[in-house]
Amino acid sequence: MGEVITFWVPWTLIMLALAVLFWPGRGLFWRQRRSKEERERIQVEDALKYLYFCEREQRRPTVAGIAGRMQVSENRAAHISQELQEMGFAVMQGDVIKLTGDGRAYALHIVRAHRLWERHLADETGYAEREWHARAEQAEHSLTPEEADALAARLRNPLRDPHGDPIPTATGEMVNEHGQLVTALEPGRSGRILHLEDEPEGLYAQLVAEGFYPGMIIEMVDQSSDRVRVWADGNEVVLAPLTASLISVQPMSMREELIVEGAETLADLEPPEMGRIISLSPRCRGVERRRFLDLGFVPGTEIAAEMISPGGEPTAYRVRDTLIALRKNQAGMILVERVEG
Amino acid sequence: MTTATISQGNLTPQDVLEQAASLRLRVGDFHEKLVESNYAEAADIADSVVTRPERPAHGLSLDQRIDRLVTSRLWGFPLMILLFAIVFWITISGANIPSSMLMNVLIGRIYPLLHVGADAIHLPWWLSGLLIDGMYLATAWVISVMLPPMAIFFPLFTLLEDFGYLPRVAFNLDNVFRKSGAHGKQALSMMMGFGCNAAAMVSTRVIDSPRERLIAMITNNFALCNGRWPTQILIATLFIGSLVPAYLAGIVSALAVVGIAMLGVLLTFAVSWALSRTLLQGEVSTFSLELPPYRPPRVWQTIYTSIIDRTLFVLWRAVVFALPAGAVIWLVSNIQIGGESIAAYFINWLNPLGLLIGLNGVILLAYVVAIPANEIVIPTILMLTVLTTGISGMGAGAGVMFEANSPAGAMAIFQAGGWTLLTGVNLMLFSLIHNPCSTTIYTMYTESGSRKWTAVAALLPLAMGFVVTFMVAQAWRLGAMIFG
Amino acid sequence: MDTVTVEPIEPGRMAAGCESCAAHNAANLRRLGVDMSDWDYVVALAGNPNVGKSTVFNALTGLRQHTGNWPGKTVTRAEGGFEYGDARFKLVDLPGAYSLLATSLDEEVARDFILFGQPDVTIVVVDASRLERNLNLALQVLEITDRVVVCLNLIDEAKRHGLTIDERHLARRLGVPVVPTAARTRQGLDELLQTVSDVATGKIICKPHRARHESPDLKAAADEVEADLHRLYPNLPNARWVALRLLDGDEAIIQAMQRGELGDLTRSAPDSEAVNVIRLEAAPA
Repeated sequence: MGEVITFWVPWTLIMLALAVLFWPGRGLFWRQRRSKEERERIQVEDALKYLYFCEREQRRPTVAGIAGRMQVSENRAAHISQELQEMGFAVMQGDVIKLTGDGRAYALHIVRAHRLWERHLADETGYAEREWHARAEQAEHSLTPEEADALAARLRNPLRDPHGDPIPTATGEMVNEHGQLVTALEPGRSGRILHLEDEPEGLYAQLVAEGFYPGMIIEMVDQSSDRVRVWADGNEVVLAPLTASLISVQPMSMREELIVEGAETLADLEPPEMGRIISLSPRCRGVERRRFLDLGFVPGTEIAAEMISPGGEPTAYRVRDTLIALRKNQAGMILVERVEG
Repeated sequence: MTTATISQGNLTPQDVLEQAASLRLRVGDFHEKLVESNYAEAADIADSVVTRPERPAHGLSLDQRIDRLVTSRLWGFPLMILLFAIVFWITISGANIPSSMLMNVLIGRIYPLLHVGADAIHLPWWLSGLLIDGMYLATAWVISVMLPPMAIFFPLFTLLEDFGYLPRVAFNLDNVFRKSGAHGKQALSMMMGFGCNAAAMVSTRVIDSPRERLIAMITNNFALCNGRWPTQILIATLFIGSLVPAYLAGIVSALAVVGIAMLGVLLTFAVSWALSRTLLQGEVSTFSLELPPYRPPRVWQTIYTSIIDRTLFVLWRAVVFALPAGAVIWLVSNIQIGGESIAAYFINWLNPLGLLIGLNGVILLAYVVAIPANEIVIPTILMLTVLTTGISGMGAGAGVMFEANSPAGAMAIFQAGGWTLLTGVNLMLFSLIHNPCSTTIYTMYTESGSRKWTAVAALLPLAMGFVVTFMVAQAWRLGAMIFG
Repeated sequence: MDTVTVEPIEPGRMAAGCESCAAHNAANLRRLGVDMSDWDYVVALAGNPNVGKSTVFNALTGLRQHTGNWPGKTVTRAEGGFEYGDARFKLVDLPGAYSLLATSLDEEVARDFILFGQPDVTIVVVDASRLERNLNLALQVLEITDRVVVCLNLIDEAKRHGLTIDERHLARRLGVPVVPTAARTRQGLDELLQTVSDVATGKIICKPHRARHESPDLKAAADEVEADLHRLYPNLPNARWVALRLLDGDEAIIQAMQRGELGDLTRSAPDSEAVNVIRLEAAPA
């Protein structure tokens, strides 16, 4: 038994000690690495982000709100708000906290860093989607504005993060968050109304009178230079182009539209069935999406299931005269309609 | 929305860039629309210039018929196994003769002639030893053992590749690899690894997804390469075969070797699985596998280029590493400090660790100095064992690698070195699970361009080898204590 | 020579004041790692993966670079050379790519070489049996440079599959010469060399097809940027394409513009006196 004692016991102890010290995220080493000041700064930045979102969504940010959002005590929240004011990032108006210009710029940087980092995770790494947000929550506090700029350049200045939220530019501008103009919808496509512009007043009143409201789903019928016809809640409405241009919509993805109609994906085709590509699912992102586009998986393309691997997957599809094998989960991201062979 | 206003006259690039950046916020992302319209245009042109044949009624082209056969549920796997069995059989049986011929010429003829020549010009003993016994011998050994199998295996493999069959193998096997987080094309780099791990590193180029390519590189070492098969066969014959009656010895030792190779395959999947979920989870992962049309291979050009591109390329690298290693092997055996060779010091120093994991200091030192090629591990072990045990009538002198003229001769040396069944078993395990040879490590570095992942590929199997042999040794001794 | 593709000749015009007519950008090429001191012309070889590009390369240069039947095998850039007529041509094999939108490193390498190196001729190797997929890349090359020869390779394979291709019509649609080849059996290579040399020396002047479907929004924005680019760099040969890249946020182009490299890319339009100029112009569909 001597050997057991001389060899097993020390080894086990060494392993245990290493685990306690370096266990990812929880080991003493990692805990120690986050110093107190850093924790403080992160809380300030999180509070700024909260204030910024309140402002955008036109809610009233309060100390209690900070406490609720950040899951800290009211005392702590009051302390943070005090600090924000001392730093010149916010001012109190009654019990409402308001961002200053500096505060808004700082908040925008944090939002920019967060969304850029998510874009980076989606496009340049293999981390699973469920990890993106948590990782970006960490990264947003460590990216400097210069690093964020360099990252943006490397990512080819993306306009939106992988969830579709706009990424502010270095100067705080961003792509129209109110979706797109209804006139940009192609005939037959639908969108959900995000925003009705309230100026000029007369035209806005006309829209309200016609029964348009944010959240309503409308479908483009057709448009010409002097009128725009849309379906809205089962009625056909004809608008002047100028009036229609007050409506911004979030276009519904083909997927959203087709879920209602029960669309099929490429994975539903069995050899030798054929289909035509309708769209790539928004779940298909980054490198994978670019690869699909490169290989010619673009809407309108005819595609035929050709053979299944004896292992069960992948399946080979003929696309533009080339055989390309895709796994099931990939084929499931390509929406198709059947075509008779 | 702000639009940069541009004054007439002195327009600067910066103005245009700002203009474009602000217009961009209005236009949004049109990248995919562009790709789409480009393809539509291409399709339109293609349609207007290409006349397709009327589809025959029963409509399968030759390509499609071959595909139906090689990927069929019934015939796909048997056909694949048959083809690869033939490739390996041709390689093994075809390599024997040229290999022993090379041995005869390079070591049997030229080697003594070099010594005669060195004596004739009165070269000092240490210089002729260093150059001839050290550098020349190691290199000659590597060439004669490595060259013939590679010169047969690579062209055969390349012919299958050029014909278009290998992508179908990846297609057939992808599901197994998918489950362990790898790419179907890893089947091919693995197969290539059974020939040579260094060449397999290059062959991972066909895997176009970064994560899966790294997985294929890091785990390739678990494919038992050409340089390790002889070690496995020798040790299995001596230690495992001898456990059973003579009429069973052949089959049992063969099964032991196959078992080790299978263990390697299992480890490949297990380590792939673990890597894809831990170390490599942040690397980009995609899958796409194009099945190109079948093309009749051009046999002569393929043989020529695969010998130039793969065989000589790898051989050259191996030689570059073998030269200094040969020198080191000779030097550590011949430089004496206080009446003992450096090798002896190292062996004594490594012995406790070696014994702890069921091996010994000689074996560990041999794995250190014979890092350029697994082929020279056994000759080095034999030489070092003779050197340290001082048995007489064996070997060719300090620092001169040799091969025993019979398995029994080797066994006598091993027994003199104090080897037991445990040593044999653990050597087989360690030969499968240890760092790749330096040629492979270097090739991985040039292929991946990453020190970090090259270090992982070198050290992970080494650490695993220590852990596995340690466990086996402890369990063995524990068992001996309880049952013995 | 009987060029496959030739459309009527407009006699009496040739590239402006150029003795050698080399149009490449030697300074940029040096930056891209190509030394042009011993060569008259530089020819880039582009194409999708697995279209026999390396076979064409080997057949033209006499080198033997092996690449297997796999997509995307050429990982590093290969260079070789050949002589034709009195001129020495350097041939640069670009990485195989499906498109030039620079979304991967291979694509970016190929794209930058064509854009900044301004090769005298770019040969686009296309697989005759999979024309649609391959034209996608060819069309993108035509956006960047007009000195293009399309090498319609694997014509034997296409025949085996029963396809017939009207290469004269293809040349008319694209506005550049099209040479059918079967590089494995060296069929059509002489015509290819002749055509490459004619384009390099300015005997053939291409006017490639550049049509595009753009949404009204995009078109308006692109028009605006293109007009600015024209004012800034009156001779930029591919202003529309650059405009679209800028609107797509393409960092490589943005930086090239900030460094002033885009301004170097201007090229005087080839028009002056010379004999035997063949003009190719894209015909409408």
